Amino acid sequence: MDNSSYKRAKNFRKLKRQLWLSFLLLPPALILITFIFLPMASALLYSVYDWDGLIRGDFVGLENFKKVLLDPDRNWFFFNALKNNVLVFISLMVIQNGTALVIALFLAREPKGARFYQVVFFIPVILSTVIIGFQWKMFLNPVFGLINKILNAVGLNEWALPWLGLPETALPTMILVNAWAWVGFPAIVFLAAIHRIPQDLIEAARLDGGSEWQIAKDIIWPLMAPAVTIIVVLTFIGSFNWFELPYIMAGLEGSPAYSTDMLGLLFYRTAFGSISAGGTEFGIGSALAVIIFLVIFVFSIIATKILVAREVELN
Amino acid sequence: MAQINMLGVSKRFGDLEVISDTTLEIKDGEFTVFVGPSGCGKSTLLRLLAGLDELTSGEINLNNQRIDHLAPAKRGLAMVFQSYALYPHMTVYQNMSYALKVAKEQKTVIDEKVKKAAEILQLSEYLDRKPKELSGGQRQRVAIGRAIVREPKVFLFDEPLSNLDAKLRVQMRIELTKLHKKLKTTMIYVTHDQVEAMTMADKIVVINNGRVEQVGAPLELYRRPANQFVAGFIGSPAMNFFSGVIKDVTTTGVHFDINNSGTSIFVKCPSADVSIGEKIQFGVRPEHFIFTKKTDQIITGKVYAVERLGGETYIYMSSETEEDVIVHCNGDREVKIGEKIDVGFSIEDCHLFNSKGWAIR
Amino acid sequence: MKATNFITIENLLIQIFLASAAIVMLYPIFMMVLSGFKTTPEIFMSPFSMPKKFNIENFQVIWEKTNVPRYFLNSIIVTVSSIALLLITGTMAAYAISRYKFRGALMVSLFFLSGLMLPLRLAIIPLFIQLKYLGLIDSLLGLIFIYTAMSLPATVFILTGFLRSLPKELEDSARMDGASELRIMLDIMVPLVSPALVIAGIYSAVPIWNDFFFPLIFIQSPEWKTLAQGLTTFFGEYSINYGVLYAGLSLASLPMIFIFIVQSRRFIAGMTAGALK
Repeated sequence: MDNSSYKRAKNFRKLKRQLWLSFLLLPPALILITFIFLPMASALLYSVYDWDGLIRGDFVGLENFKKVLLDPDRNWFFFNALKNNVLVFISLMVIQNGTALVIALFLAREPKGARFYQVVFFIPVILSTVIIGFQWKMFLNPVFGLINKILNAVGLNEWALPWLGLPETALPTMILVNAWAWVGFPAIVFLAAIHRIPQDLIEAARLDGGSEWQIAKDIIWPLMAPAVTIIVVLTFIGSFNWFELPYIMAGLEGSPAYSTDMLGLLFYRTAFGSISAGGTEFGIGSALAVIIFLVIFVFSIIATKILVAREVELN
Repeated sequence: MAQINMLGVSKRFGDLEVISDTTLEIKDGEFTVFVGPSGCGKSTLLRLLAGLDELTSGEINLNNQRIDHLAPAKRGLAMVFQSYALYPHMTVYQNMSYALKVAKEQKTVIDEKVKKAAEILQLSEYLDRKPKELSGGQRQRVAIGRAIVREPKVFLFDEPLSNLDAKLRVQMRIELTKLHKKLKTTMIYVTHDQVEAMTMADKIVVINNGRVEQVGAPLELYRRPANQFVAGFIGSPAMNFFSGVIKDVTTTGVHFDINNSGTSIFVKCPSADVSIGEKIQFGVRPEHFIFTKKTDQIITGKVYAVERLGGETYIYMSSETEEDVIVHCNGDREVKIGEKIDVGFSIEDCHLFNSKGWAIR
Repeated sequence: MKATNFITIENLLIQIFLASAAIVMLYPIFMMVLSGFKTTPEIFMSPFSMPKKFNIENFQVIWEKTNVPRYFLNSIIVTVSSIALLLITGTMAAYAISRYKFRGALMVSLFFLSGLMLPLRLAIIPLFIQLKYLGLIDSLLGLIFIYTAMSLPATVFILTGFLRSLPKELEDSARMDGASELRIMLDIMVPLVSPALVIAGIYSAVPIWNDFFFPLIFIQSPEWKTLAQGLTTFFGEYSINYGVLYAGLSLASLPMIFIFIVQSRRFIAGMTAGALK
């Protein structure tokens, strides 16, 4: 064999390797491109066109965005929904994640039955939001529901309200239901983060005479920062994608009186039509989607930046 | 029959040249050890041979056939890895038979070969166990067994003993040497431990910075190191070095001063290629110092540490020319820290190196 | 932090808090299941008592007169197929990224990871048009592809981490043994990350099983509806027959709860895998 045939043999091995890598990478890449990247890019494109049903019309620049944000006939819906989403996020941060933190701190002390509690708190997390929504909607039925029966039974008759029927109580009620369903998730994430803190650090603090509260505040809390960052960002994304629970419990129109309207519901109504919004409006819907995406994206980046600065590297 | 020729082999990772222009011959049945400090390229050289890394240039021949274009398994070599690299989810038997199974060998043949190798390595009763149920030494033997089963032309060992404790290491060293005597196969063994190299090798290849520094039998390297690196690397504790300046060159040898101290020494080296005023290094091994005044040369130093190992003692002292010196002596010699002692050496036992580090002979 | 082997006021308070929280979590689920065995009048008249007799009529109605069994089957088909496709393609991509050095490797891994940031729901309009074009509207196959794509970035992320941790020498050893790249992957490397496959599988399977949004938009025919989506139809049909509704909810949730309790450790590890590096 002359030298060139050795080269050819080597090149053949190289080619084989490249084919193998392509074989591994192409199918997943193709799936991702077709069903994620292409639609995401198209959404951007669609938002700057006029649409007539399923047919794309003229290029209209930022006209669709203006309609969402500035058109006096409809921008109330956007800002109302945005306000509600923000409200959901803040409430969940306090109620759901606050409770989760308390649970995690308690569970980290390994009380009797810690394992059992973990499993119990996590059960609703694995259930479909549809099931949870319907179940609570039935419990909250003003006449037949369990909640008001309990309230009547314990003598709190004036508390037996149509919880989902009043503009003042509908959203808070749904937020509580969401907190009930999801509290286990941040609790477990926090707990795992606490378990990851080296035991000797906590013991050292205890030997230094720190109270349990001081240890939690000065040692555990700063060291579980990465988990907090993740939960804050995930809660934000979850709050701004809130759709299933209000859809099931309050319907597409965010009743009563749009008090439970969310950006997700508004987007759905705009895109696919409803009684109030009329027919499908793909252009305006796409513009709305882009805006929601930007809100989530910008918040995630800023929140991560701020929260990561607080994180300390463990060794 | 397996003889290897490497011709102008080099390997680059990006801009980094890990092996540069190496030419090497390994004879049939030889136990060759590649030794050098970590990161010197010895493992890379082995991996190039195995086909796990691709050559940048040069060629590798096995029995005068080029093999560097072949896939690893087609080269007829077997390799034992530092971490043993046993398949954790397979039993000992499955580990040892995997290569044969891949090669679609008949079941009965596989069984026979595995059982035979297991017997040689005293693994017969462990064939159904998983690697994690074995001791370090047993795992090591399985790794060797996996290589034996393939009946390779050459065995490659990549630091196979470095994960074992000291006692087991000595034992495995002897077992590997025995195995080599028994199989008579060509073996190439990579280690950073010069003791392993000295005790096991027929031939040592000292590698540093991607270059072969010297090739030779263990005692040859010990007695006649070609350069300062080999002199310092082979032998433990390492050779002591002193700087000096050439004062005179005659037809029989050279005169030089240690660190301009005025202590002039004459060393026989008839064909020395040095000039007057040239800076040189001269080296004496710790074990070549003697406690007598009747030797050719004397070095005086102040003792700052003494290590007593029982049978032998190492004295650490700093010489008058402020160089650290290690002296080896027998176990019962009385010596105190802070004491000033004279040690002598014979000029036959010292090594001279020119300013480029090459031995002056 | 085992400071709790003896009874103190503090530990007692912690136990009281945790126990009440556990009741708040469990009682609604318990009531849901219990009510499934009651008749509707019984639920309204004596909501807290045990059922007079555990009758399974409600469940029979669901099994015989509704589409719920069909929805179940569809959900199983969609979830199992998506996870299978997901784990196969996810392993392929993660394996290439984690085990080979090649030009553009960083770009490729960023390409897969960037999918983590993209909320696919917001691209539902183009996705709808695209699926229509591909003939995948009102078909389980369409859902399977969407779910696979949606879960692929996280799966690649999780599996890459695990695959990367396997020692290179194992691979080299198999290469010396003559195994082809495919065999190295299937015989040696993938079996060693099977726990990671379980974790990645659960991480994606639970949201896929529970998903309601994509079927809501892409599935119209009753025979292709998934469980979560089908429940809304079912609720429309039996609007105030609470006995049947509770039975339906129980039926829809109990299998999941059961699997979760049996495999709770893996589920919890799996579902929090994305949040815990």
